[in-house]
Amino acid sequence: MAIEESFLKSVFYGAIPEEMIFPYPEPGRDARESTQLMLESVREFARREIDPAAIDREGAISSAVMQGLKELGLFGATISTEYGGAGLDATSYARLIQEISGIDASVAVTLGAHLALGAKSIAMFGSEAQRKRYLPKLARGEWVAAFALTEPGAGSDAANIQTRAVRQANGLYHLDGHKIWITNGGFADVFTVFARTTALDARTKPKLTSFLIDREMGVRSGPNEPKLGIRGSSTTSVYFDGLEVPGDSVLGEPGKGFKVAMEVLNFGRLGLAAGCVGMARKLIELSVDRVQERRAFGRPIGEFGLVKDKVARMMAETWALESMVYLTTGLVDAKVPDWSLESAICKIFGSEMLWRLVNDALQIAAGIGYMGAYPYERMLRDSRINLIFEGTNEILRAFVALSGMQGPGRQLAEVSRAVREPIKGFGLLSDFAMQRARSAFGRERIHRAHGLLRREVVLFEEHVALFSKNVDKVLRKHGKDIAEMQYTQRRVADIASDLYALAACISRSTRAIERKGEEGARRELELTSAFANMVEKRLQANVAAFDGNDDELLKGLAGQAYLDGGYTFDVL
Amino acid sequence: MKILVPLKRTADPDNANKIKIAAGGAKIVTDGLEPKINPFDEYAVEAALRLTENAKTRVAGDKVTIVSFGPKEAATNIRTALAMGADDGLLFHADDEALDGDLVARALAKVVETQKPDLVILGKQAVDGDSNQVGQILAELLQWPSATFAMSIELAKDKKSVIVGREVDGGVVKLKLELPAVITVDLRIVAPKSVVNNVTPATHVYSDGARYAPLPMIIKAKTKPIAEAPIASLGLDATLKSKYHTFELPPARKAGKKVKDVAELVGLLKSEAKVL
Ligand SMILES: Cc1cc2nc3c(=O)[nH]c(=O)nc-3n(C[C@H](O)[C@H](O)[C@H](O)COP(=O)(O)OP(=O)(O)OC[C@H]3O[C@@H](n4cnc5c(N)ncnc54)[C@H](O)[C@@H]3O)c2cc1C
Repeated sequence: MAIEESFLKSVFYGAIPEEMIFPYPEPGRDARESTQLMLESVREFARREIDPAAIDREGAISSAVMQGLKELGLFGATISTEYGGAGLDATSYARLIQEISGIDASVAVTLGAHLALGAKSIAMFGSEAQRKRYLPKLARGEWVAAFALTEPGAGSDAANIQTRAVRQANGLYHLDGHKIWITNGGFADVFTVFARTTALDARTKPKLTSFLIDREMGVRSGPNEPKLGIRGSSTTSVYFDGLEVPGDSVLGEPGKGFKVAMEVLNFGRLGLAAGCVGMARKLIELSVDRVQERRAFGRPIGEFGLVKDKVARMMAETWALESMVYLTTGLVDAKVPDWSLESAICKIFGSEMLWRLVNDALQIAAGIGYMGAYPYERMLRDSRINLIFEGTNEILRAFVALSGMQGPGRQLAEVSRAVREPIKGFGLLSDFAMQRARSAFGRERIHRAHGLLRREVVLFEEHVALFSKNVDKVLRKHGKDIAEMQYTQRRVADIASDLYALAACISRSTRAIERKGEEGARRELELTSAFANMVEKRLQANVAAFDGNDDELLKGLAGQAYLDGGYTFDVL
Repeated sequence: MKILVPLKRTADPDNANKIKIAAGGAKIVTDGLEPKINPFDEYAVEAALRLTENAKTRVAGDKVTIVSFGPKEAATNIRTALAMGADDGLLFHADDEALDGDLVARALAKVVETQKPDLVILGKQAVDGDSNQVGQILAELLQWPSATFAMSIELAKDKKSVIVGREVDGGVVKLKLELPAVITVDLRIVAPKSVVNNVTPATHVYSDGARYAPLPMIIKAKTKPIAEAPIASLGLDATLKSKYHTFELPPARKAGKKVKDVAELVGLLKSEAKVL
């Protein structure tokens, strides 16, 4: 695989394949018009029917709302028109889920699990017979899909699942095991289930296989779990008590279940990040209204510098997230082969940005922010999940760093294994060092950005060059032990993330200038400039920490705390 | 049966407070307002759809055609109606300021000649100009029976006539119109049971309001035809009969005042408000 097949993986080599990110992707007139119509329908439906406070309070989406969502065709949004869906591309889907997340996060998560995980796994890996059997029902919302990977002993370490499927002499599979925290678990009709098809003993390398299991084959669900946020979404355990399932329930190739999970989750993460854009927009809207209305010391609080500072950061970070999410969906729609790092980065950046943003919005709202009568506290609770599911941000940082450093084609399976038993065959690294030679002659340039973005472009170019040098350096220094160097991995992932966000802002601002002229694009340029300032400080700090850091001191502190059994100091 | 529904692109009435007046009161400036289908026209589309379908599927042979006179961008609004379920659209390009109720009615009369609908259903008025004229003038030009401000429509089984309910002071008047006819509709036409076509099962309850276009219909609407032509192609005398002189915004509301007690209130009602 050529490194140019992924923008970010190329950046790890110090290369900047700018043709992948310029011009900033833009939906055609037709797509824009139909997406606009969809959003209007959704907004109108939501205005009349969806009460987020009631969904939160009742811990469920009412059946009337579910029915309405189905009638709107939302359960078929991404399913191909051939099977009765609307066949949305990645960009339109992201825009749709953005809108819905801004309205109600529980609804967005419910739809996301159905579309971006359940239905997507069938559309991507299903045989024609499976697609025909499931997709039309799923598109109509007659059936709801769920994605069942996590188990009590296998969350981040997904390869460690214990649910087992054994092929019988009669061709049926015997399926035994149980899953936890499955979104839509209470009512889904078909589950994409991951099970081990190899022996359970520790010596056998686990191989996973994905299956499509219908509820009517005997699936049992536990009760809905009480939880912090997205309370209207269903989260339950799901039990497979020795089910006999037909051989043609296998989804994709036997033994290739991990690949299924990882590729599907790439989509899920992008939708999740788009959802963060939607919630951020909503919170900014609430905050902007509030600060102009609420008065203190004889003035609207919006006039105070520290309030403005928060609103300005919200604007700049949301701009950056939106730019990177829709750059990535553009890559997906342009059929770029590999955007796994980009989507993981959107998920990390989006969920953490939203968490800061909701915190700031609540801080500005202060007392009312804390009260149940206003949406802030619910949105704070709802947004917390994004840092956890579809790969925790820690796991995704390791994934971004190791996958970027390992070169193309490596997926979370390897990362997850690497973290347990340090990467085997890291001999790839010498190839890596050779390919890096490409940037050894000096820094790669961006030629297609507008001249007004000179400062941001130079910042980007210099840090790409520096980044690939540092990646090279840490790899030489740590060799295969890089798999254990999580502080370093975090630096690598955070730099990659900031570089990608910066590139997205540069590309999008360039397009804005081309469309609207320098004066017309002034606000876009200001946002990019403000974001670049934030990024510059982080980049410098991360780069400096490659050489000087207190990683060992901190690890020691934690280790000692484990030994002591807690915080054993006291002033008495 | 064929129904023609005229539709106007208007600035979003929900944001009417953002409207500005151009210098000298020459015109209303709607920049920054989202353009939408005139709400009463949207109700007309909904009524037409309910008359031509069996709960969900279109009755064979029935058809709903949308027509609009306005800027090229109005194609988007026609597309919305197609996504709701209408079959095709006609867009005659015209500058909004070069139109008045009379010219639109004359243009519609021409369109009726070629389209030969059994019914023309219009919104009772456009929420921007609020003229409330087109339906009435059209009926006069066509010499067709008409009913304005319809709150209910029942189509006879033989599809030869309709009974239209109109809300008047103290009750509801029901008019029977022989088709072809012109009807203008009011808000209540989109209540769940306002439209009866004697095909849709009586048990079917429509939701309150115009329908939202479902996603698959939005996709399908991309392939439904919208024929576009300049309004001049209708060969009409373009002279306007009505002209707007000046526009002005309603006076801004003054801030309220808190009073200590009833005595002060009475005093102010006498001295300031001069109502006592
Ligand atoms: C509301 C909700 C809905 C969910 N929906 C679904 C669903 O539909 N389908 C599904 O399959 N799952 C679902 N999950 C499960 C979710 O994906 C897992 O919770 C998640 O993957 C983390 O697993 P865990 O909770 O077991 O955490 P653990 O894996 O136990 O991790 C605990 C902590 O340790 C950290 N950690 C673990 N390993 C490492 C490492 N190698 N390096 C550094 N840090 C590490 C983690 O980042 C985390 O901070 C859902 C969870 C929730 C809460």
